[in-house]
Amino acid sequence: MTRTRHVNCIIPPHLLDKLLHSDDSDVRKAALDTLLTTTRLRGERSVRATFAGAAAAGNGRRTVFDCRQGRFLPFAVLVRTEEGAESGDSSVNRAFDGLGTTRDFYQKVFQRNSLDGLGMRLDGYVHFGVGYNNAFWDGRQMVFGDGDGRMFTDFTASIDVIAHELTHGVTEFTAGLAYHHQSGALNESISDVFGTLVKQWSANETAETADWLIGADVFTPGIEADALRSLKAPGTAYDSPLLGKDPQPDHMSRFVNLPNTEAGDYGGVHINSGIPNKAFYLTAVGIGGFAWQAPGLIWYESLKASSMETKFQDFADTTYRKAEELFGAGSAEQLAVLAAWQGVGIQISGVPAGVARARSLAASRDGGVGRDDGLAALSKQVGALSAQLRELNEDLTALKAMR
Amino acid sequence: MKVTLARHGGLAAAVHLRRPPTVVDTDALPESAAAELAELVAAASTGAAGHEGPGPGRARDAMSYTVTVEEGGRSTELTQSDTTMSPEFAALLSWLEKHSAQQ
Repeated sequence: MTRTRHVNCIIPPHLLDKLLHSDDSDVRKAALDTLLTTTRLRGERSVRATFAGAAAAGNGRRTVFDCRQGRFLPFAVLVRTEEGAESGDSSVNRAFDGLGTTRDFYQKVFQRNSLDGLGMRLDGYVHFGVGYNNAFWDGRQMVFGDGDGRMFTDFTASIDVIAHELTHGVTEFTAGLAYHHQSGALNESISDVFGTLVKQWSANETAETADWLIGADVFTPGIEADALRSLKAPGTAYDSPLLGKDPQPDHMSRFVNLPNTEAGDYGGVHINSGIPNKAFYLTAVGIGGFAWQAPGLIWYESLKASSMETKFQDFADTTYRKAEELFGAGSAEQLAVLAAWQGVGIQISGVPAGVARARSLAASRDGGVGRDDGLAALSKQVGALSAQLRELNEDLTALKAMR
Repeated sequence: MKVTLARHGGLAAAVHLRRPPTVVDTDALPESAAAELAELVAAASTGAAGHEGPGPGRARDAMSYTVTVEEGGRSTELTQSDTTMSPEFAALLSWLEKHSAQQ
């Protein structure tokens, strides 16, 4: 029974037509059912496309507001829109441009229409508070402080900071990673990863030439600090009497346990993000070239496949699986992912450490991404696509059964 | 009266974790400033924040502030955040930030 329905879903139209005129009433009924199903599906696709078009009307349209040093967003005044002229205020223009660059990155690299994938509007608020040393995402829009001028300067200065905050929106609309402990640190890491990818994409930098710093421009010149964080070398972004030393770990053996309180940074979400940050950096240099391509795609697909309570191990396993789906089992991309997580003390589940080491070494000997396994990878991709098609058919069968 | 302001979270949370809080002792202030601070503390204590409950809610990288007031052997703590603070708490915070910047 199940098999008959399964075949029905992929039956060619000319055969369907013939079956509709069969003498057997059961065959005619099955053919009619199939025709109705495919017509309904075609209809659904068409309706969905209409919805997508309607929702895309925003297409990430930008609006910038000036808080005029106030702390309450409803009192901010509108200062720049898509239709309006440039502002005389450089913070306004930098925020506007940063929103646009981030929107374009998600659109062009991942075909994602704004943060929610449906063209959500992008609203930015500048000059929040007096000398406010921060930028944040409030759950709907992003807010920039001017910095106190002593330690920090204007937070619109770093494109990676703008992209970091907007990526919190993307995470909220996809995995929804809970903002505490490991899932929270992963949430922060995703924002750092895509924050830095937006910067590299806009500057056309490779993994080898990029600085991998977050917030390199938010400190005043007098402060001895390279940036807020370094994905390449977590724990080395700053070391000064005023700021102390960057406390980010770069390996699970140095994981920092903090309480899930405001004072404990919700379990160190801005601290332990150093570990997945380093894993992404190692993946990017392991694969080589532009980090927003294969490495970025693996991370983006893994983010979409994650959920609220995803922890480091879960995410590492997902990246390994996604690398296989996208580039093939044993591909250089998948081996780079394996070696990267191993480099931060996380073994991929189901891959014994000895095997992982041997594979990583083999990948290193090949010198990064090799295409020797291209045919095997292609064959694997075809296999994965066929599996997806089978799953879709099974879903359709189940849907039919429920009717 | 001793008033302590500790800042938490934000994009630079790791920096704030290490930095000492701002401390203001009203005994060291001119009389008018001490009276002004006492009024702000009293108002902030009664002003309700539009807080969604414990935790950051939907905000990411927003900062939160804990003001500890010690007086006559009693200690009271007020914690509010960028996205949920009451106008009264915002007024107290502004005063403390301004005072801190002048030090």
